[in-house]
Amino acid sequence: MLLFIARRLALAVATVLTVVTVAFALGRATGEPGALLLPDNATQAEVDALNAALGFDRPLIVQYLDTLLGLVTGDFGDSYRLRESALGLVLERVPATVELAFWAFVIGLVLAVAAALTIQLTGSRVLRAIAGWAGAVRQSVPDFFFALLLVLVFSVLLGVLPSLGRTSYASLVLPVLTLATGQFVMYLRLLDSALSEQAEQDHVRTAIAQGQRRSSVLFTRMLPNAALPVLGMAGLNLGGLLGGTVVVEVVFAWPGLGQLLTSAVSQRDFPIVQAGLVFVALAFVIVNTGVDVLVRRIDTRTAAA
Amino acid sequence: MTAQLATVTAPAPRRWRPRPGAVVGAVMLGAVLLLTAVVPLLPGFDPMGQDLRAALLPPFTDPAHPLGTDALGRDLLSRIALASAVTLGMTLLIVAMNAVIGTTIGILAGYFGGRLEALVTLLSNVTLAMPVVLLLIAICAVLRPSAGLTILVLGCTWWVGYARVTRNVAASLRRQDFVVSPLTQGADTLWVLTRHIVPNVRPHTLIIAATDIATIVLITSSLEYLGLGVQPPVPSWGSMIFDGQRHLGADPWLSLLPGIVMLLAVGGAQFLSQQFTAETRGGLLRKGGMR
Repeated sequence: MLLFIARRLALAVATVLTVVTVAFALGRATGEPGALLLPDNATQAEVDALNAALGFDRPLIVQYLDTLLGLVTGDFGDSYRLRESALGLVLERVPATVELAFWAFVIGLVLAVAAALTIQLTGSRVLRAIAGWAGAVRQSVPDFFFALLLVLVFSVLLGVLPSLGRTSYASLVLPVLTLATGQFVMYLRLLDSALSEQAEQDHVRTAIAQGQRRSSVLFTRMLPNAALPVLGMAGLNLGGLLGGTVVVEVVFAWPGLGQLLTSAVSQRDFPIVQAGLVFVALAFVIVNTGVDVLVRRIDTRTAAA
Repeated sequence: MTAQLATVTAPAPRRWRPRPGAVVGAVMLGAVLLLTAVVPLLPGFDPMGQDLRAALLPPFTDPAHPLGTDALGRDLLSRIALASAVTLGMTLLIVAMNAVIGTTIGILAGYFGGRLEALVTLLSNVTLAMPVVLLLIAICAVLRPSAGLTILVLGCTWWVGYARVTRNVAASLRRQDFVVSPLTQGADTLWVLTRHIVPNVRPHTLIIAATDIATIVLITSSLEYLGLGVQPPVPSWGSMIFDGQRHLGADPWLSLLPGIVMLLAVGGAQFLSQQFTAETRGGLLRKGGMR
């Protein structure tokens, strides 16, 4: 178990390092920011002075090591435009994004579990077919278009929900619904196939042949076993959820990380992009590692090893 | 008499029956491909020409513009057809690049093992543990966005799935008699790889590629929605939907029409690939070849 955790941590470090390196390379690939930040009539000497002040005159390797050091101290430099700590600006936006991702995840997962259990308990083929087709349609549509459809129906036609910004609980509904439906479809599919696989296992058949109630077999035997692979996928899927959140935030003008990052990217405000990418990668890796260790711990087949 | 005997002993030919999903998928994807192929041949095809006097025409009102026009008076049918060609073309190119890169690396890693295999394992674990889509957005945005950049970035980064699977297949083939025996008789390694390993790996690559098409369309469209990828005036599904969003109140068809075409293409690709996967897996198992 300890060895497993150590290995998993090494992988986490490698992942974060990769992201930092990519972010660093991106920052340097765009050239030095001096000319971009100063007005057009600035002299070359002024541009050079600003580049030097921002540390761009040092050798690349020193700049890279400095970035790595920033990872430890949490200092990613100041935003070029706002002259504020980049990490501070990123952290300011985190609650809004977490709010979106959290509710989407919880609602999607709870509804998926409920639906999967209903399908198993009733054994209804019609229900499964409906879920399958609806899921296929939802998965054929990118988040931003589904979001637009929701806006069209609930904001434009019915006029009951706001389509932009983060002003009240009502403005949470459409973005969360967009993301949650995607989560719902994915988890329902995973859970249903895991439960169906369990239904064919010997111990499940035996229990039913002995006359145990279907529901009790489902809850005590099938669900715990089926939950493991789904839990494992949940950690990995978080990356998809974060990527989706970025786009959905742009659609709904939701003042979260995604919006900050996309606008910082278009303004070439590199410290923010770097801080944001590293923050997301860290959060993602921590959750992912945690889930992996948790799954390993719960799963009695591997916990001893 | 002989004829009668023959009819009795011949095994009843099993009729191949496509699943309903495959039929629906083929019709959906076929409609989009037909649109892409036929519309450019029609006399009114003009995806770029602006006509501000005929801006924002609704669909089915003007015979010159069957699906109406956008805010600049450009013919929507022409633009959707061109956008479909652009997005589908890009997707196929990206999928092909990844399939080739991933399969090559996977085969080499599986067959030779050692450090290369360790590197592939590490790489695939790192990519699995990374918010890839977010990084792609950052890369495509920071370097000057263009269709070529999107193809290059996505085409060179989405191959881990291929490498993972083909590595396992190649590793399991490495010790099989039909692979080892030519080597003992003096065949060179390249010959064995191309003659025995590649054909056995190919169905696995095709399965992943078929499933990947839908995923790649969704990712490129999301990038295009954010203004990354194909640049104006060349249309794409994502950028058309984004442009139409501003007119969602009065003229929702501007976003809806390209969206529906995208739904048809992605849904069709998904249904077809599911069918394809099931058929191929069945075929492999029946021959008892793999695993």
